[in-house]
Amino acid sequence: MNLTDSKKKLALAGLVCGLVAACLAYFGNPANMAFCIACFIRDTAGALGLHSTETVQYARPEIIGLVLGAFLISAATKEYRSTAGSSPMVRFVLGMILAIGSLVFLGCPLRMIIRMSAGDLNAWVALIGFILGVGTGVIALKKGFSLGRAHLTNRMSGGVMPVLMLGILVLALATTLLKSSQSGPGSMHAPIALSLIGGLIFGAFAQKSRMCFAGSIRDVILMRNFDLLTIIGSFFVVMLIYNVATGNFNLAFNTPGVIAHSEHLWNILGMYAVGFAAVLAGGCPLRQLILAGQGSSDSAMTVIGMFIGAALAHNLGLAASATALNPETQEITAGSVPLNGKAAVIICIAVCFIIGFLNKRSENK
Amino acid sequence: MRKKVLKLVVTFHTTADAMAMEKACKEAEVPGRLIPVPREISAGCGLAWCAPLSEREKLLVVMAEHGIEQEDLHECMLL
Repeated sequence: MNLTDSKKKLALAGLVCGLVAACLAYFGNPANMAFCIACFIRDTAGALGLHSTETVQYARPEIIGLVLGAFLISAATKEYRSTAGSSPMVRFVLGMILAIGSLVFLGCPLRMIIRMSAGDLNAWVALIGFILGVGTGVIALKKGFSLGRAHLTNRMSGGVMPVLMLGILVLALATTLLKSSQSGPGSMHAPIALSLIGGLIFGAFAQKSRMCFAGSIRDVILMRNFDLLTIIGSFFVVMLIYNVATGNFNLAFNTPGVIAHSEHLWNILGMYAVGFAAVLAGGCPLRQLILAGQGSSDSAMTVIGMFIGAALAHNLGLAASATALNPETQEITAGSVPLNGKAAVIICIAVCFIIGFLNKRSENK
Repeated sequence: MRKKVLKLVVTFHTTADAMAMEKACKEAEVPGRLIPVPREISAGCGLAWCAPLSEREKLLVVMAEHGIEQEDLHECMLL
């Protein structure tokens, strides 16, 4: 089935992915997190012991499912292509930026849409930064930015990331080696089987539809093409209906329990870095997982960069804290971005400019 | 309502090559436009150059003159 030959079918892909996210939120994933690539990679990195923040450690089956879903559907439909060789270490750094920027905002672009659908005005503010970041990436593209071409490589190479994900799943199911949060967001999750199936379905539909949050805005700015935005639009509508129907819609800035903060400048700059890096890397965090699943070792490097970036965000105190409600005093404690996080975002943006405007097409010839 | 017609679609190894193609074609006044790579061609999310079938020879000349390497040439039904 070709999901991309009409906008109706693209909308259907977004609808299915929205239903998966709504279902996972209903069955236990953290409030308005539902399906966040950066948060779930951070949790999985914690489960593997890459960081020691005890409240965010859990091997999220959704991440495993996304990669395996994309791998299985691409193999089944003969779209699996093992490729590599397009500036892997630069992509690793871009992966780190994707994770750090996301954890300063407290969510990847996918979660930004989910938060927007729940009325979280901080996410609407962050959208400004994300669009500006994608726009800056488009300027870099127009100036000749390139990381060089990828080449076909040994078939085994592209399969490494799916196998590693399978390995994490086996460790999670058959051993007690992985860490698992007893409180906090890491302790909140849907049943493992449901999360895995949800990830597989989401991964398959994202692979077929080429769902990408950065790509959708890139295509509108660059070509006035709204195909990818159609998917995001229908995803947003499904989540909006879910949030209104379940009483989770709250149009406000200070929203304790949502895992968000209201430092507007840093919400904007965090997502600016993510949007910029995503265009340079050729896709948002979700898209990187899908590309890694369908055989791209370059995207697999970006995914590994996201794991390390997420771990560093907690080990070095870069990640923002969320606005919280003290259950005893009923006082709201405002979430904030630590000084280290602010410095990291500035560095991330500077690195994006260096990568974006010093890697020229002519240098690859 | 616009109908789909058979068009020439040039795919490239990198997005930068597609951007260079747009610039070169504008300079040479060869008609065409950037489009997302049609899904039936690739699972990737790069850019392609879409032009009328009649422009095939001119496009090849432009690419040769500017050192733009194509990945492939396709004929697709597009709007």
